[in-house]
Amino acid sequence: MTLRQSVALVWRSLRSMRTALVLLLLIALAAVAGSLVPQIGLSDARILSIFRDHPLRARIYDQLGLFDVYGSWWFTMIYSLLLLSLGACLIPRTRAMVRNVRTKPVPARELDAMRHYAEVTVPFDPERAIRGARAVLRRRFFRVRGPNGQPSLAADKGLAREAGSLLFHWSFFLLLVGIVFGKGTGFSGKAVIVEGQTWTEAQASYDGSIRAGSFFDDHHTGVQIHVDDFTATYRSNGQPEDFVTHAQLLDAAGHPVQNVDIRVNHPAEIDGVKFYQFGYGWAPVIRVQHEGVPIFDGPVVCRQDPAPEGVSPLQLPWNCIVKLPSLHPQVGISFRLWPDSRALYTLLDTGQSMPMLTQFAPVMTYTAYEGDLRADQITSVAVLDTASMRSFDDGALGAGKSVDIGHGLTVSFSELRQYTVLQVSRDRGLWIVFLAAILLLLGLLPALYTSRRKLWVTAEPDGTGSVLKVGGFALQRRSQFEEEFTRLVREIGRTGEAKVGP
Amino acid sequence: MSSETWARISTDSFNITFFAYLAAMIGDFHYLAFRRKPVWRIALILTVLGLGAEGISIVTRGLAAGRIPIGNMYEYSLLLTFLVVLGYLVFVEGVSKVRTLGGFPLAFVEATLAIAVLFLYVGPAPLIPALNSYWRQIHVTSMILSSSLLTLGCVITILYLVKDRRERRQASLPPPIMGGALDLGSETPPHFEAGADEPVGAVTSRKGWLPPAAVLDRLAYRMIAFAFPIWTFGIITGAIWAESAWGRYWGWDPKETWSFITWTIFAGYLHARATSGWKGRRAAVIALVGFVSLLITYYAVNLWIVGLHSYAGVP
Repeated sequence: MTLRQSVALVWRSLRSMRTALVLLLLIALAAVAGSLVPQIGLSDARILSIFRDHPLRARIYDQLGLFDVYGSWWFTMIYSLLLLSLGACLIPRTRAMVRNVRTKPVPARELDAMRHYAEVTVPFDPERAIRGARAVLRRRFFRVRGPNGQPSLAADKGLAREAGSLLFHWSFFLLLVGIVFGKGTGFSGKAVIVEGQTWTEAQASYDGSIRAGSFFDDHHTGVQIHVDDFTATYRSNGQPEDFVTHAQLLDAAGHPVQNVDIRVNHPAEIDGVKFYQFGYGWAPVIRVQHEGVPIFDGPVVCRQDPAPEGVSPLQLPWNCIVKLPSLHPQVGISFRLWPDSRALYTLLDTGQSMPMLTQFAPVMTYTAYEGDLRADQITSVAVLDTASMRSFDDGALGAGKSVDIGHGLTVSFSELRQYTVLQVSRDRGLWIVFLAAILLLLGLLPALYTSRRKLWVTAEPDGTGSVLKVGGFALQRRSQFEEEFTRLVREIGRTGEAKVGP
Repeated sequence: MSSETWARISTDSFNITFFAYLAAMIGDFHYLAFRRKPVWRIALILTVLGLGAEGISIVTRGLAAGRIPIGNMYEYSLLLTFLVVLGYLVFVEGVSKVRTLGGFPLAFVEATLAIAVLFLYVGPAPLIPALNSYWRQIHVTSMILSSSLLTLGCVITILYLVKDRRERRQASLPPPIMGGALDLGSETPPHFEAGADEPVGAVTSRKGWLPPAAVLDRLAYRMIAFAFPIWTFGIITGAIWAESAWGRYWGWDPKETWSFITWTIFAGYLHARATSGWKGRRAAVIALVGFVSLLITYYAVNLWIVGLHSYAGVP
């Protein structure tokens, strides 16, 4: 077999519906695998536990790409082949469609051999009878060819079916373009913003890592958001009711553009960058003075440990850390915040934990350590490694209070603020994806619900009038066409009657 | 009236619904076996009665919760079965004038309602913020509407397989091949979907307790072809909701993944009907695989697979 022949063979088998069908079902099968095996980015904790408990299985899964099915080479291969097969089908079909649109319906003979056939007598000469039939068919949106000198017509209808099918299938390529362009040039990350603070969209501002597309040029937008205030409301049973971030959006130059309320399901947008309500937390404003000189002052973001099974995060205290690297020895203070102090007292009294829905006389317990902060190794502000440190004081501190912790240090807890966590992302391919989805739907409807019909009419003189022979068939929805055919024949007959009337 | 009163009316109507459908199902099967016209008429009246009671149950549930009652699995099950019965009455009894099949969809409906009330019941309550979206309501409604049509299509497909087998055995002939003989000449592009909606199977057999296989096949195809764009629309609106709630329109979350799998399988079904060698029984089997996938999408993902949709109200 020559190379040319084998290429032709591959191309032919790609074009077959059977190949496309098998590939389609393979995609479904691969997705099943992806839903049963935990996926990277969706359930990392479960992946880690498989690695811990079943190292061999985990290694095999990992080798096969089962932890990242939708990014694996074989998934990419299946859908690439499917799209290739789709393209191989669509190109000749589109060509045929264009040809079909350009050429008008072809005349036919032996109408009485067709699936549907009828004769109807009208009191006109054939030429006029044919004109009547033409009018009827045109009114019913048939494409009509003729009469070209002869008393005969060829008509067809339902190109929308094939056009719709083509539109539906081509839309998948547009969808792919939208996805690749949007994800490729886009980015997504989390912003932690305390009430009263302004956050700038820049590489260094994000909390944690940024997921950026492979074509993203690291050119951030510099737009800003100023958070005025965050409100969380709960129903009496502790079920969340609403989370709102009241904020102001500013352009890259710092000019205010718009005041917005960001809620779950209601993101805000500026310059293609969207802000989604993602989470929230507490940020006590802490001031530390060393012998009367302020060495630390500002809100500190507190976080929670993951809640154990069956425990609401609302019942857990919040942890945060203040590091004072300028002192000798260095000092680190770890705080444990109870936004509602009644929860702490209830826990101490009865051992029961209660949810903290709003702030109520907030209180912090603290432990102060001295020693080496090891700032060269631990860069995170949220982690305090006390391995080479020694605790020298602990206690509790209420809001609005100060405490002297020794070493000439005074810690004050002036107020408790909230912070909001926003997901910040840009996807410039969104409108392409949306457009593709709409086109896909628009194509699907005629592709499924319309049908291609063909019809021919000839007229022959018959006494004083003429007899019209009508033949035709439908390529799809044949049972419905039977009715339509009968109706058309009746109408064609009736035009004559109406015009001849008394 | 108070929320409790509405909730009680909702529960009472649910019970009426359950037993009306149960009696109707028994009546329908009786009619299938013995063909006593009055029994069919009583079964039909009971079905309509049950449907009315179910409608009341859904509406009062919404009044008790103070929102549109599509917020959790129990409510989805109510709406799904409501639409299955309504779809059966309109399309099978109404449009297609097929009277013998009522027991089968009702059996599915009874099973779904039993599971809903035994395992999925939660009291009426407002929604958490993430579920409180305009798009979500459109999404859920279209998913349920489409699921009900797919369910009907698949129940009829099972009957088609049964009947087709019987017809073949009776005829002891190779399967009849129909459709697509005319006008497949030069101007028809390759794989043009000629005859995709044409029935496969003999139209001749009028004997036996089920309608002819060809009738069943056409009915099943119409249901699925009607449901498919709605399912597609449901996935699209779901993606729009996901975009506004989580900042991404698609994240391979298990529910998303399974809705995609179901979509793919039914897309396969529609294509299979236009592929030679796959028409008829093989296509029917694909539809059934799709139905299993639909059930997994509907139940298993919420109950056993962890994901963003797992909060969809399971006690």
